Amino acid sequence: MMSNLAVLPIIIPLVSGILLAFFHTKTPFVRHAAKLLSVISTGVAAYVFYYVLQNGTVTLETGGWEAPYGIVLVADLLAVTLVLTTNIIGLACIFYAPHSLTEQKEKFYFYTFFFLLITGVSGAFLTGDLFNLFVFFEVLLMASYALITLGGEKVQLRESIKYVLVNLFSSIVFVTTVAFLYSVLGTVNMAQMAERVQEVEQQGILTTIGILLFFVFATKAALFPLYYWLPKPYTVPNPVVSAMFAALLTKVGVYSIIRMFTLVFVHKMEVTHELFIWIAGFTLVFGAIGALSTNNIKLVIAYNIIPAVGFMVMGVGIYNQTALSGSVYYMISDMIIKAALFLLAGAVAHVVGTPDLRKMKGLIHQLPLLGWLLFISAFVLAGVPPFSGFIGKLMIMQGGFADGEIAIVIIGLLSSLLILYSIMKIFVRGFWGEKDESITIDKKTVTALTWPVAFLVFFTVLLGIGAEMFYPVVDDISNQLMNPEIYIDSVFKE
Amino acid sequence: MLFAVLLPLVLTLLIPFLSKFKDKVHTGIFVFFIPLGIFIFFVRFIGEGFSPELESYPWIPSLGISLDFYLDGLSLLFVLLISGIGALVTFYSIFYLHKSEKLAHFYVYLLLFMTAMLGVVLSDNVYLLYTFWELTSISSFLLIGYWNHREGSRYGAMKSMLITVFGGLSMLGAFMLLHVITGVTSVQQMIGSVDLILSSDYLPLIMTLLLLGAFTKSAQFPFHIWLPDAMEAPTPVSAYLHSATMVKAGIFLVARFSPIFHGYEWFFIVVSGIGIITLCWASYMAVRQTDLKGILAFSTVSQLGMIMAMLGFGTEAAVFAAVFHILNHATFKGSLFMIAGIIDHESGTRDIRKLGGLMTLMPISATLALFAALSMAGVPLPFLNGFYSKELFFENSLHIGDTTLWIASFLKQAIPYLAVFGSIFTFVYSMYFLFGTFTGKQKLEQLPKKPHEAPIGMLIAPAILVFGVIFIGLFPNLFNETFLAHAAKAISGEDTHEHIVYWHGLKPAFYMSLIVVAFGTLLYLFRKKWWSIYRAIPGSLSFNRVYNGILKGLDVYTAKLTKSYMNGSLRRYTALIVSTIIIVTGLVMAGTNGFTFKTDDLAPVTIPEILVGIMVIAGAVGTILAKNNVAAIIILGVSGYGQALLFVFYRAPDLALTQLVIETITVALLLLCFHHLPQLSRRTEGAGFRLTNAVIAVGFGTLMTLIGISAHSSKWFTAISDYFLETSHDLGGGDNVVNVILVDMRGLDTLFEITVLGIAAFSIYSLIKLRSKEGE
Amino acid sequence: MEIIMSVVAGILFAAGIYNLLQKQLLRIVIGTVILSNGAHLFILTMGKLKRGAPPVLEYGVSEYADPLPQALILTSIVISFGLTSLLLVLSYRAAQENNTDNMEKLRGNHDE
Repeated sequence: MMSNLAVLPIIIPLVSGILLAFFHTKTPFVRHAAKLLSVISTGVAAYVFYYVLQNGTVTLETGGWEAPYGIVLVADLLAVTLVLTTNIIGLACIFYAPHSLTEQKEKFYFYTFFFLLITGVSGAFLTGDLFNLFVFFEVLLMASYALITLGGEKVQLRESIKYVLVNLFSSIVFVTTVAFLYSVLGTVNMAQMAERVQEVEQQGILTTIGILLFFVFATKAALFPLYYWLPKPYTVPNPVVSAMFAALLTKVGVYSIIRMFTLVFVHKMEVTHELFIWIAGFTLVFGAIGALSTNNIKLVIAYNIIPAVGFMVMGVGIYNQTALSGSVYYMISDMIIKAALFLLAGAVAHVVGTPDLRKMKGLIHQLPLLGWLLFISAFVLAGVPPFSGFIGKLMIMQGGFADGEIAIVIIGLLSSLLILYSIMKIFVRGFWGEKDESITIDKKTVTALTWPVAFLVFFTVLLGIGAEMFYPVVDDISNQLMNPEIYIDSVFKE
Repeated sequence: MLFAVLLPLVLTLLIPFLSKFKDKVHTGIFVFFIPLGIFIFFVRFIGEGFSPELESYPWIPSLGISLDFYLDGLSLLFVLLISGIGALVTFYSIFYLHKSEKLAHFYVYLLLFMTAMLGVVLSDNVYLLYTFWELTSISSFLLIGYWNHREGSRYGAMKSMLITVFGGLSMLGAFMLLHVITGVTSVQQMIGSVDLILSSDYLPLIMTLLLLGAFTKSAQFPFHIWLPDAMEAPTPVSAYLHSATMVKAGIFLVARFSPIFHGYEWFFIVVSGIGIITLCWASYMAVRQTDLKGILAFSTVSQLGMIMAMLGFGTEAAVFAAVFHILNHATFKGSLFMIAGIIDHESGTRDIRKLGGLMTLMPISATLALFAALSMAGVPLPFLNGFYSKELFFENSLHIGDTTLWIASFLKQAIPYLAVFGSIFTFVYSMYFLFGTFTGKQKLEQLPKKPHEAPIGMLIAPAILVFGVIFIGLFPNLFNETFLAHAAKAISGEDTHEHIVYWHGLKPAFYMSLIVVAFGTLLYLFRKKWWSIYRAIPGSLSFNRVYNGILKGLDVYTAKLTKSYMNGSLRRYTALIVSTIIIVTGLVMAGTNGFTFKTDDLAPVTIPEILVGIMVIAGAVGTILAKNNVAAIIILGVSGYGQALLFVFYRAPDLALTQLVIETITVALLLLCFHHLPQLSRRTEGAGFRLTNAVIAVGFGTLMTLIGISAHSSKWFTAISDYFLETSHDLGGGDNVVNVILVDMRGLDTLFEITVLGIAAFSIYSLIKLRSKEGE
Repeated sequence: MEIIMSVVAGILFAAGIYNLLQKQLLRIVIGTVILSNGAHLFILTMGKLKRGAPPVLEYGVSEYADPLPQALILTSIVISFGLTSLLLVLSYRAAQENNTDNMEKLRGNHDE
């Protein structure tokens, strides 16, 4: 099905970002406009999602140039689901932002960068062209560079530069890899690549390029042993920026791994996908260990991104429909809960004045709702039912057991315990105990900071208890992933 | 059943509202009617003609998760315990908890627990069971942490959560394996596919994971350590969760899955082995405690071990005895906990060293404690239910089924002796609890409060339980056919017709009981003589130390490990990332024969190109060698211009122009930026530093070259660009194909390339401008 | 010639990585510039070198160089330029705020 719908989730935030740049000094207006535009964008994303759910994959050959020659946008169910999730998270963040940012930062194009980040992320999900994926990566990375440095504080600059350099390196390798693939396959269109890979006889070089590409995405996705750049830089910008990063950036990497290694590089699974399982295992262990290693609550949450990514890649490595469903489900769940947790940690640090857990106690007296939201989040992360984390993990682990991958599943279970401990520590040490009389709160701000968190946590509960509603979508997605010809046909057979 | 399970959960929503009136009406009064109602609802199922019932509602059918509730004899026993003891405990709590406490929190957690526990015992779906199982851990965590201003409360809550959730997760592992093997999620259907499970390679793993769940929850050795610390919870909670119900969830789990593992000898070895060790160790340790609730906690652990051991025996009679003891234990231990709570409440302490001689001051409590404690000790009197079950235990320890493995045979031989050993200490701590508190010299000056008898309301609940002790003791067979036999049948799968009698004749079990009483009395009377043995065993060794060590280790070593590689050094990060890519990609390339080399389709080699190539290389390498920053920048420019020349050679005029412009601006920018920045750091790099850099750099360069050559040698397809050449003029309207591609065919790329530039521009602007505003 | 150019590009990558592993910020930035140059050279090489005329259509010419890699490089060059500029300003600001241009001194503390 060909339709311009596919480009809307990219164009609307792009235009929003540009529009808001013009009014950047008129803060109150920009705030409201940003909220409105975000609502519109989410609404459109929801409509596109619904449309694709009803009518199947929507493609758009941009500029009217037929695939595989022009750039084709492929709004399949996976892409639109992730786009919708992105927008929902954006919505929560945009309502949180004015209460968390200084007006100066808002004036210096925060909202523009914010919408362009969403543009880049949505574009990355929707494009069906590998080089275009690189371009969208650059859009979202550039926006993220702008956001992470916004404010220009000492520590912020110090950490941003590491973040920028590692990502820059991986982008360069990315574009080189695209060239290698172009040489071997003669195309940059992902669907055509998938078609052509199946016809190749000597596949060693393809596998090698595939692994190189995997490392590019693994660096972005923060997999072992490439995640060093992630935890610290994620704690330095404003919480709302951290939340967007945590929710979106690593997941774009995971998405790209899922896309490329279910669509194109499926010819040598005993090498590639087996490697993923090993990497996932180490990612789970080291990420969870990292989360236990610090008293900085923002850093605890930043480290928690890593094992979650490990779970998703574990599903890709196991590569059966159950596990892939699990990966996708877990990814959606994790995007939402990570955003919520960063916003939450930001609010707590805002009230206490420091993210250092050793300086917190008895916060439940001042911040009851945030405390209970944190409590629930711990179980979402650990994968305790009936919350959404459970559904995803359950499917991934079931898939693992079904394929006889016993060790990795047991590692997954144990890491879940460590994850739970890392968050529970914050609850027990920070929220329980005697009331700390020295902490005073500004009720209005705290309420404004709490609602977006509650909004997001509500979704994870909904995704858990109401899993039956969402399951068909995810099942459909994993069915498409397991059968790449569906994707290929949607691009070529029109 | 769904209604009964969810009723407490739904009512939690009302509690915040009801607690508004707590000054007038104690919130517990409202809550009391919930377990009472559930008890009345279920008690009508008791009867000889009882047959199991299944109730099913869909929840997440796609994943096999549905609200399946199954009421058989086993679940009925537990449901009645949960609701019955629940009602009594709630009633007791009305007098125990003062209105100034945070009653809303307490009752919300308690109701949450009721739902969870009812759910555990009624679920037929493994995932539903797991859901409720974790909910019991969560509510227990919250209840232990009820007085969370105390350090001990927080410690105990975290400990119980970590240990029980650990067990829960491993149990989930077992459930998933069972699901994968049998293809069903219903426990009863799994039991139906027992052959599939027993023939699976994963059988030992399944059993281990499942039993880890059971042992952690039921505080079996060596996971028992969380239970004594859970005593930080308010006493009604200890009596309810940590004695009568939640800790029996592990027992329930073993009982529920017994039909599957029935014929598997390792099941006997592990369950009975761990059970009997728990019995001995915990009863031995109970004597050492000084806190009344500490004694009872270890006592609970040891009694659970005894029940576990009997379930492991697996014979129909042993299973019946286990079921009987579940009931009996709830009565005498529940009442003892409540009495410990009364003593704490009235005297202000639970330290047995400060207590003594309370019999005259608290005669009713003392009488109740007397019956309950003697029953717990298994004193052979015809009106104590504890005696009957203890004697059945001895009896059955002598009649374990056939064994084939040597370890099983050994265990079979050892169990009767261990049973007697453990029971001797059970006797000792029961006496210690009873006489230490109520007889001897009064030490009123050491007590925070002057003790007196508790209000009548507080005594009602323990009195009812003690009445149960005596009633069952007098009519031990009253519930056999109508109630207990159904429960036993659900576990062993066989019809049970046991008859409990007081006098068996001069059989071994009787001698065992005599030995227990005789040695127990001696040991109690001369306890000061052998007390020092605790200094040797366990001495300073304990599993608490292991737990604390692990947590401490987690704190310290995770930090050490993480800091060792997450040291903030960009160089380190880059080096690790690049090395990983080199090694893994290189290995994959070698392993898959990825390298190909063909010379049949190459452009001719010409001298000018090679010279320019050398210039490019020289420039790039020169930046490394240049000592001076300005020199490095200039040399970089040389390399860049060389590249522009290459573009000219290679028929890319647009590229050459762009490269020239960009290179010039880049060099200018570099000079501009670093002109303003004094060269702060002196380059002090050792040979090792340079060697590391060189190795990694050359490695990566080689890898990319090899892949490049292979990729170029593997051109298997016609490139899509022919199409661009063909259509550029007619469809694209331009002759410069590169331009047509950029603005038309791949216009989207260009649009977003400009976006990238735009963001960069805004960002640079913010970077430069926003700093001046900092600090405002 | 493609083989030689692959080697040249590989050497550019090596030189870039070496610079990336230096301590001084300026050298690191230079490293990224060299890396992008290497990448662009690879892209061009992968499209075959010197096959026919520049891809500007002319009557009577039937052999042209592959236009697609050139288009990709152009996009990439512009993006790299944007990145380099941002990186430069960022380095400048970071070095200025932290009063050092030695990345090894910009490690920070794990717990802060």
